[in-house]
Amino acid sequence: MNWELLTVALLAGAANWVFRALPILARTDRLAAGGWLERFLSATGPAAIATLFVAAILPALTPDPVRIAPVLAGTVAVLAVYLGRRSVVLATLAGALAHGATFWLVG
Amino acid sequence: MACSGPELALALAAMTDAQPSFSSGIAASLPIVMGYFPIAFSFGIAATQAGFSGLEAFALSLIIYAGASQFLALALMSSGAPVLVAAFTLIAMNLRHVLYGPALLRAAGTKADTRHAWAWAWGLTDEVFGQALGALARGQVFSERYMFGLGLGAYAAWVSGTVVGAYAGGGALDAWPAVSAGLGFMLPALFLALLLSILSRRQVPVIAVAGLVTIGATLSLGSTSGILLGMLAGAIVGLVRR
Repeated sequence: MNWELLTVALLAGAANWVFRALPILARTDRLAAGGWLERFLSATGPAAIATLFVAAILPALTPDPVRIAPVLAGTVAVLAVYLGRRSVVLATLAGALAHGATFWLVG
Repeated sequence: MACSGPELALALAAMTDAQPSFSSGIAASLPIVMGYFPIAFSFGIAATQAGFSGLEAFALSLIIYAGASQFLALALMSSGAPVLVAAFTLIAMNLRHVLYGPALLRAAGTKADTRHAWAWAWGLTDEVFGQALGALARGQVFSERYMFGLGLGAYAAWVSGTVVGAYAGGGALDAWPAVSAGLGFMLPALFLALLLSILSRRQVPVIAVAGLVTIGATLSLGSTSGILLGMLAGAIVGLVRR
């Protein structure tokens, strides 16, 4: 077992439990909305996800049409399925399917 | 058995007021199970491809239980990022979960029982939250048993998918490059879908600044710095604007 990996997992897992359970146990839904803490927390999630999407897609952005075509097809599929079905899971699977199919077609 | 109008209305009212059971929570988790299993399968493969063992992949899914940040943990740890930097990045990424419990309870009402929330709230992922909130919006009564069923189905699919993927191993898809490419796109697809699910006019400046700073910092300083600075810049934009 990689102990550094386990340490990261335990820290992240403990934080996940705190984030998911503590606001419910503390009944923070009864507190006033719109404070600086809520503004910071509500911005951190979108900022993190936007950052990670850019970081994940950046290495795939290349002028080579054979490499970029599956990325474009996958991205369009995610957008189309999410807008049509409003499901994160279905959009993710559709994106992966479109990417794999395009890779097979142009490869 | 036939029943009269008032009896039917009473029966329907009783059904509406009745607290949904553990098994109805399990049933409601099935669409999530169908989606989680292949994503977790690709995580198990990615973990073994990154040089981690099946046991380590299993431990990540069991202990962290947050898809996108688990993929990120693989990238950070295999690139030699320091433990605290990796942990901070994963923690920052999941801060959004802080908002799920209060949002759910606002929809459930002030009388909602939360005695066992310390246990079922562990399963409050993006998709479980979305499914639970959707059920409440359709008029279903809140129940902790339902939340346990919904969360457990999704958790079991995630952990078992990881184990099967890790068992299949990194070389399992060598003969199937298109499948391997599709699974490799699972992570950016998941991030994009999550981004769309939380997109609102209010968050556009946060997302734009985070994205631009990530590009600039990644190209000039490297990917780990790009991720950290992008997150920080976006969060600061959210803090300073009203």
